[in-house]
Amino acid sequence: MANRRANFCGSEDHLIHRRGFLGAAAAAGAFAANMGVLNVLRSQPLASELKRQQKHVILLWLAGGSSQLETWDPKPGHENGGPFRAIETNVPGVHISELMPKMAQRMHTTCLIRSLNTRNADHGGGAELMERGRRDEPTVKYPDLGAIVARELGRPDSEVPDYVSMYTTAEGRRKGSAGFLGARYAPMFLDKDLMPANIRRLEQISDLDHQQRGELRQVLGERFARGRGSHSVDSHNSAYKRVRGLMASEKLFDVSLEPQQYRDAYGPTQFGEQVLVARRLIEAGVPFVKVARGWWDSHGQNFETHLELVTELDHVMSTLIDDLEARGLLEHTLIITLGEFGRTPRINPSLGRDHFASAWSCSLTGCGIKGGSVWGKTSPDGMSVVDGEVGAGELFATIFQALGIDHKKDYYLGSRPIPLTNPGTEPIRDVLA
Amino acid sequence: MTADPNKLTKKLEIGAPGILFCLDKRDDSSVIHCGSSDGKVYTFDLADEKPTGKPLESHTSYVTGVALAGKYLVSGSFDCSLVWWDLESGKPVRTVKDAHARWIRGVKAAPDGSFVASVGDDMVCRLWDAESGKLLRALQGHELQTPHHFPSMLYACAISSDSKLVATADRVGHIVIWEADSGRSLATLEAPVMYTWDPSLRRHSIGGIRSVAFSRDNKLVAVGGVGKIGNIDHLDGPSRIEVFDWQAGERTHEFSHDKLKGLVETLAFGPDDAWLVAAGGDHGGFIQIYDLKEKKAIKEEKAPMHVHDMVLSADGTTLFTVGHGRLATWELKEASA
Amino acid sequence: MLRTFQKVLLCAAACGIGAIASVAPAEELLPADRPIPEVVDHYIDAELQKREITPAAQVGDHEVIRRITLDLAGRIPTVAEVQAYVQSSDPNKRVQLVDRLLGLPDFALHQRNVLDQLLAGSDRMENAWREYLLVACQENRPWDVMFREMMLTEESQSSPGALGFLKSRAKDLDRMTGDTSSIFFGVDISCAKCHDHPLVSDWLQDHYFGLQSFFSRTYLTKANFLAESDEGDVKFKTTAGETKSAQLMFLTGTVITEPEAPQRSEEEKKQRKEELAKLDEQKQPHPVPQYSRRAALVDVALRPGERDFFARAAVNRVWHRLFGWGLVNPIDQMHSGNPPLHPELLDWLARDFIEHGYDLKRLIRGLVLSQAYSRSSIWLEGERPDRDLFAVANVKPLTPRQLGVSLDLASRNQATMPEIGADKWQEFIAGRENRAGRFSTWIEVPTDDFQVSVTEALYFSNNAEIVNEFLSTANDRLISQLVGQEDREAGLQMAALNVLSRPLDAEELTLFKNYLAQREDNLTGAWQQVLWAMMTSPEFRFNH
Repeated sequence: MANRRANFCGSEDHLIHRRGFLGAAAAAGAFAANMGVLNVLRSQPLASELKRQQKHVILLWLAGGSSQLETWDPKPGHENGGPFRAIETNVPGVHISELMPKMAQRMHTTCLIRSLNTRNADHGGGAELMERGRRDEPTVKYPDLGAIVARELGRPDSEVPDYVSMYTTAEGRRKGSAGFLGARYAPMFLDKDLMPANIRRLEQISDLDHQQRGELRQVLGERFARGRGSHSVDSHNSAYKRVRGLMASEKLFDVSLEPQQYRDAYGPTQFGEQVLVARRLIEAGVPFVKVARGWWDSHGQNFETHLELVTELDHVMSTLIDDLEARGLLEHTLIITLGEFGRTPRINPSLGRDHFASAWSCSLTGCGIKGGSVWGKTSPDGMSVVDGEVGAGELFATIFQALGIDHKKDYYLGSRPIPLTNPGTEPIRDVLA
Repeated sequence: MTADPNKLTKKLEIGAPGILFCLDKRDDSSVIHCGSSDGKVYTFDLADEKPTGKPLESHTSYVTGVALAGKYLVSGSFDCSLVWWDLESGKPVRTVKDAHARWIRGVKAAPDGSFVASVGDDMVCRLWDAESGKLLRALQGHELQTPHHFPSMLYACAISSDSKLVATADRVGHIVIWEADSGRSLATLEAPVMYTWDPSLRRHSIGGIRSVAFSRDNKLVAVGGVGKIGNIDHLDGPSRIEVFDWQAGERTHEFSHDKLKGLVETLAFGPDDAWLVAAGGDHGGFIQIYDLKEKKAIKEEKAPMHVHDMVLSADGTTLFTVGHGRLATWELKEASA
Repeated sequence: MLRTFQKVLLCAAACGIGAIASVAPAEELLPADRPIPEVVDHYIDAELQKREITPAAQVGDHEVIRRITLDLAGRIPTVAEVQAYVQSSDPNKRVQLVDRLLGLPDFALHQRNVLDQLLAGSDRMENAWREYLLVACQENRPWDVMFREMMLTEESQSSPGALGFLKSRAKDLDRMTGDTSSIFFGVDISCAKCHDHPLVSDWLQDHYFGLQSFFSRTYLTKANFLAESDEGDVKFKTTAGETKSAQLMFLTGTVITEPEAPQRSEEEKKQRKEELAKLDEQKQPHPVPQYSRRAALVDVALRPGERDFFARAAVNRVWHRLFGWGLVNPIDQMHSGNPPLHPELLDWLARDFIEHGYDLKRLIRGLVLSQAYSRSSIWLEGERPDRDLFAVANVKPLTPRQLGVSLDLASRNQATMPEIGADKWQEFIAGRENRAGRFSTWIEVPTDDFQVSVTEALYFSNNAEIVNEFLSTANDRLISQLVGQEDREAGLQMAALNVLSRPLDAEELTLFKNYLAQREDNLTGAWQQVLWAMMTSPEFRFNH
């Protein structure tokens, strides 16, 4: 019995035969195509040449605000500097915190921006700004970086998700927003575990039934859409069209399918596992993956917190760089390490650091970046930017340029042109390859 | 004059450069030695009309341990080195550069002056000959990583009054009692409440045992830190002390203070082990004194700063505290006319 | 943005932000006693004629009843409702339908949800808030009365629900000011806070902070009561760096003079502070001030000559909700720089709304009885006319609650439901409606140019709730009826009427019959797939 069932639903010939009810015209190519994704993954440790040419972003989001002094902009010898030493890197003259010995050996892949002055030291407002590159206007809700990259680098009919966002710790959790680009570009959001919700077919429905009812739905959907002139209706149909492909990407989220050596390399922490998933996703063609590492808000015990979190970041980020490089993916993948703001240079009596947006750092690695470059400078006490001040807009323009996206490109909201970055915003050309 | 903890009064408060993490002082001297976040060891003579810190320069990071041993002062630092200072000349006579592979968290001297113990985040306690600086023993009994795969920290050590025992205590609440001569582990104790792992909201940890002390009869070991914390962004948990009869492996006392929040950074037993004094803090600071027989608080006082270290005189009548930007002295006796 | 605002500034500098200026004197508008539907069609058709556009045809009975029921009752019609309507030959049946729906408990529930979404959005509110809205909707309380209640109800031990609007915003003065302005007056003035137009920026700031001043004394007490102080002014820095005290100024530029704030000695201040602290401890609200700035706002906003903002904003929002596009868009940009295409119509409707006591139900009834409302949403030949013309209907995505309740009805064995209008119906529909609240996890709240997310499609495709609840074979579910049907065609038509509120056409019948014919091995499963396909079609997802 069990055997017959399997045959009944499993045979491809049988499937095609059963599709007869739709007529030849409706038997679209979607079905055959969605198997392709998995095959690429399963058969080759290296991504295909085709996939390599596509560009990707992995955003390591340091939620709550990491300290620039304990990462990219140490101030050894100053009372604000804290207890950690600065160490040399493999780029002469560039020093980073001793908490990042592994990144120090990979500095040639990465550029540092040490002169962010973003003025908003409130978690919500700061995160909104650093996710979108600018503040919303009353009537314009801007899309976040993931949504823009999904739109620019994703394929409209993509069978893999084009924007995946992981934020599993609960504090300060933000889903991200596609703003005026609409829900088509909203992230596939993983807030509970490593597997997206509703991505697995229920056991009580066979694969064939799942497939066929989707085809029935599509016939109704296309008939209805005719003459309605509605993007909303079209988006409904295209969301359903993507379901089967997205389900096939379930395996991308399953770290147990990864060879043990890679799991060991990324390490046993949840962040390590999530970044490994991120690598699996971009290798399969996902343009944008955000992994939020929460929560860095070290008002008390800043040094202990950073000892834990920077050590983990150093390890995981270095592993990711090595892994992407070995797969030939690094030059097409931009790794952004960023949070909503940095932390106060002044050390408070709980040996903590508080919110600080006037002079802080982020890093960009890989695609389109001049590795080893450093942009901007802060004062010896770390309290202000003394050279090369940039805001969220300049950072975003730099990110777009690194990905080969024109930062002046217009979107249209009705007839109103809206450039990707506000007029007059220029990228930091010195850090671009 | 016998000590009276009920009469705890602040006598003197001096602003100091940086964050003072540690101090040592002999009863027969008016001189205090302390270590600062600016990498210097400071010497204050309380006999001066206006005591000011005279710096001894040597470390390149926070000085987290100072201990008087014989004619030397030994200092340890986050820069991983130990320095022997000649007290008379004020000059360094020996530097052990990589005494620990990671931050040194504390240095203590044996009361008989024979050896010095240091602890660090390499999770090893090292015993050094006080005179020659020779490494006598490395005591290894603490895990390098927390159960959640993050680097652990070995914050505290103490030496018994007879100089025969060493106690060490770490971030996850693991305590080991060692025989100094043999390096043998005599007992292990656990105080897991001191370590808060937040698995869902923030996914990192806070806390750890920050202080350890032997009773004067060496039968009890007290450890201090902070209890469970809800929001681990802040030191927003009850200050916490646990006392163990270490030979029996039993916890004899537990003091958790909901109002005085933060870390118990330092502990000392009073004469005859009748009471226990604890100090520490969060953004502010506190001193708490507990009656060990009645198992209740005798006295609580706000300190003018987060207290990182203290020394209680042998007769229990004078207390010296250092901490965030400040140094303070206290009396525990009827005010002298 | 900038361009639009400059325009506004230039024409409004002298007199405040212009409400969209009345284009014609009142006597040139159509007479006040003409029925609303007639006036709507008069003005809409006039513009179409001017442009030589023939509007889309009127929809048939099946579509009319679905569209109106979704808009008024917040759900799809039942099969019985559809059949009764279609079979009726009464020439007045549409009016009867509308009046029947407006009298159902469903209307108040839906109206409450619409207002809740408008006023509270995704804020977490106390139960008393939704209860307040429901009672107000059941009574069809006038919109000006509700505005007054939301702004001015006095606190008591059980904090009145009406205060929810301000309480949820009381900690954020900008939100109190900005949301009141955009929701009740139709103008989002937050750009005026720091706008740097070289000529009139001072005026603009006066203006923003003027409106803010009405709320600046409002606060939340320690015991979580809304309160208003009797002292304190808004100060702001002009772009020239000068510090100014704001005047109480309404959007029209009208300045309110108020009595001097009480001068208190240090001793009196201390005493007052202690008194308030005591009230907090006893969990009592703070006393109401002798002079309330919020009361002054309500007073000026509803005064003849000033109340156009208030009336037009409400009319435009109701219009937007029913037509899927406002007379002015975006709906919170109702200023002279962004004029409507049908200014007389907006004028007339606003005047009618005021003269008939801000009666929302009357306005809704009038609009859904117009021809403009019941046009087809299909436009096959040539370029689709601009949305502002209302020549062809816009499809409107269902709200999470509309969708939830409709799914429940669509998948139900409707023979097992209480009779509509019977006592048990209210309980039944309120229960369905309440349960539908959970859909907000997966379904986004509609916006202009709404897009469906893949999260929604995955939810409908793979979540166990869908199978266990809507496709269940239990007796109260449609599947149980379909499986028992000998006649496949009758079964398919039953499903279509249940879900899509219309019969299938020949092509669709063939599609589904062929499908069923191939699934003899598992007919229950096949019926489930058929029902699923209908319930997940855009025809179900949208009001069209």
